[in-house]
Amino acid sequence: MAANYSDDIGPMGYPMKLVSSEIVEHMLGWNIPEEHQEMVHEHWRNYPAVNKYWHFCLGFIYSLLMIISLIGNGTVIWIFSTSKSLRSASNMFVINLALFDLTMMLEMPLLIINSFYQYPVGFQLGCDIYGIIGSLSGIGGAITNAVIAFDRYKTISCPLDGRINKVQAYLLILFTWIWAMPFTVLPAIRVWGRYVPEGFLTTCSFDYFTDDQDTKVFVGAIFIWSYGIPMSLICFFYSQLFGAVRLHEKMLQEQAKKMNVKSLASNKEDANKSVEIRIAKVAFTIFFMFVCSWTPYAFVALTGAYGDRSLLTPHATMIPAVCAKVVSCIDPWVYAINHPRYRAELEKRIPWLGVREQDPDTASERASVATAQSHTPNAEA
Amino acid sequence: MLDCLSLILVVAVKVFKKTTPNGKVTVYLGKRDFIDHVDYCDPIDGVVVVDTEYLKGRKVYSQLVTTYRFGREEDEVMGVKFTKEMVIGQEQVVPLINSKMELTPVQEKLLKKLGPNAFPFTFNFPEMSPSSVTLQPAEEDQGKPMGVEYCVRTYVAESEDQKSHKRSSVTLAIKKLQHAPASRGRRLPSSLVSKGFTFSNGKISLEVTLDKEIYYHGEKIAANLIVSNNSRKSVRNIRCMVVQHVEITMINSQFSRHVASLESREGCPVTPGASLSKTFYLVPLARSNKDIRGVALDGHLKEDDVNLASSTLVCDGKCPADAIGIVVSYSVRVKLNCGTLGGELVTDVPFKLLHPAEGSTERQRFNAMKKMQSIERHRYENSLYANEEEDNIVFEDFARLRMNEPE
Repeated sequence: MAANYSDDIGPMGYPMKLVSSEIVEHMLGWNIPEEHQEMVHEHWRNYPAVNKYWHFCLGFIYSLLMIISLIGNGTVIWIFSTSKSLRSASNMFVINLALFDLTMMLEMPLLIINSFYQYPVGFQLGCDIYGIIGSLSGIGGAITNAVIAFDRYKTISCPLDGRINKVQAYLLILFTWIWAMPFTVLPAIRVWGRYVPEGFLTTCSFDYFTDDQDTKVFVGAIFIWSYGIPMSLICFFYSQLFGAVRLHEKMLQEQAKKMNVKSLASNKEDANKSVEIRIAKVAFTIFFMFVCSWTPYAFVALTGAYGDRSLLTPHATMIPAVCAKVVSCIDPWVYAINHPRYRAELEKRIPWLGVREQDPDTASERASVATAQSHTPNAEA
Repeated sequence: MLDCLSLILVVAVKVFKKTTPNGKVTVYLGKRDFIDHVDYCDPIDGVVVVDTEYLKGRKVYSQLVTTYRFGREEDEVMGVKFTKEMVIGQEQVVPLINSKMELTPVQEKLLKKLGPNAFPFTFNFPEMSPSSVTLQPAEEDQGKPMGVEYCVRTYVAESEDQKSHKRSSVTLAIKKLQHAPASRGRRLPSSLVSKGFTFSNGKISLEVTLDKEIYYHGEKIAANLIVSNNSRKSVRNIRCMVVQHVEITMINSQFSRHVASLESREGCPVTPGASLSKTFYLVPLARSNKDIRGVALDGHLKEDDVNLASSTLVCDGKCPADAIGIVVSYSVRVKLNCGTLGGELVTDVPFKLLHPAEGSTERQRFNAMKKMQSIERHRYENSLYANEEEDNIVFEDFARLRMNEPE
């Protein structure tokens, strides 16, 4: 063990050495001092140390993501919370999601520093902070996605009085934070599970390698809690929502039949289909994003705990971390940029951005006129 | 001289007109409220005046469109639209296809006055089409209110399917309303209920009878209550309210709103063995319910003629469940409070709330009342349009559909 890190210059001298001379072949984790060695699971020590260019590359990717996330989520929070026309209960969930995504963004500067030093700065404490941020934002974001699905289902299935009011919205937001708590706090205070470095040993996450009952149960539980349950909720609510829309369309069609609406009958069908397809598309995008962001992590954790560990090379285990971060940068685009009022507001505040959005009031009028004529909304726009 | 003036006022036909933004096509309608008499419905008769040189071989089409709006605009997410537009009538107006079309008196008059560039069109509401209803928005709601709307849309295009341009199309909002049948009927709606208690013998019974089956808007409703208490509980207080039931058939949901209510302790408590006979008077009015979201109103185009939505009437052969759009009904609900342990005794007595039928004596009185309110306005308008009055036609510019409608 000690041989891996027997180089005479020691960890602090490492950055100096980077620039001074070539490096001897080391194993992963060699640059972590003796007293912190127990953080690193043996599994990682079987791999050679990661080339510094990999570290810099990862640091560079994270810097880009950090800027994108800051701009995207920051604008969402800024505009949604300061403009009157966007202050609705449903939009509070979007703000909440952006908050979680911004929290996730806080990980990125830590990683950039870690990448530079090529070991987790602050060791156990740094690792805990990194892990807490990751768990909180990851689990919170996942359940917020489910809450948004629930809210949309309520508003669309009963448009009259189904809408969630402000108090309920605050409670639901509180719920998302509480939901994220157990698997954030328990590993941090070492009651159940713990945070350890993984992959390049510059990122930290909960421990899925230790070979004991506790860890295995922990991995199973966190899988169900932060992946299984939110995902089933998302699927359930969007499929219910889809059903509700189909029902409304059917009832409207029946009424149209009663009134002998025969002109544009063929067009009408097309238009109806497109509503359903549009919803299916949005629902599928959100579902797909969720799958993209968290399936790699779930796969890695489950493999680590129950499966063939040889699959988990340091490089492979960095993919899920990057996936989750990328999705947190895309979230504002999916939830906010699709919002016509948000776009209108964005155009008003930052005209040089070139978002060409009409005032939603007039836009809808034009769209509905266009719908009647040619059944292609916004055909004129 | 004075007589002559009043004669003109009486004979003058008021006509509504609206022109496309480019000023080339003008639509004239004889009225904006079309009455559904249950067995037949007023046709929509209008005239289009167009600059034929401007057309250059293109045609003018007119459509009768109904719009359902069953959710708030701000709640539309994921590309769902809570509106549905249905074109329930379409006609080519210029060139005229059916030259032997039967003309209504208003159309004849207008054609005579407006010359060779005027073309008539007529639409009939489909048999089952719903009445115009607006659901009162809450103060913080943005966008258009929910409900059922109608409009006549006229546009210039090469062919029927071609899309219209904003500058050469014009939309006139109209209303379809139902009026009460000529006679109000003699039946007095009533309901008799009684309530027993789990741990004590005897019953409290309540009989509620209304003084009419059909009420006109603004009329006082008298509900006669007879409470007889043969139980050991006592009646603490009595609540009486007018409930408006609104069913939104397009999304299969319904809700009720209390549009008038009264609570009384007079004569209470009704002790065991006692009985009480009492009359409650209630007047359900739109203006006393201005703050309540979702109260159904007769579709309104102008601010001043708002009244509660009329009861939906269905013709004899049809089942009320077949009615479409927004179905409105009313009942008087009486609640007896029998103490904390006794619970409540509730009953509903249905009635109808409508406008008096055209031509009936009540109608004349109703109109007279309305006229009083707007006579000053009429005078003013008549003086404005004096130059157009030669043919006893008063042209009124059609009120803009909505305040935010773009030019």
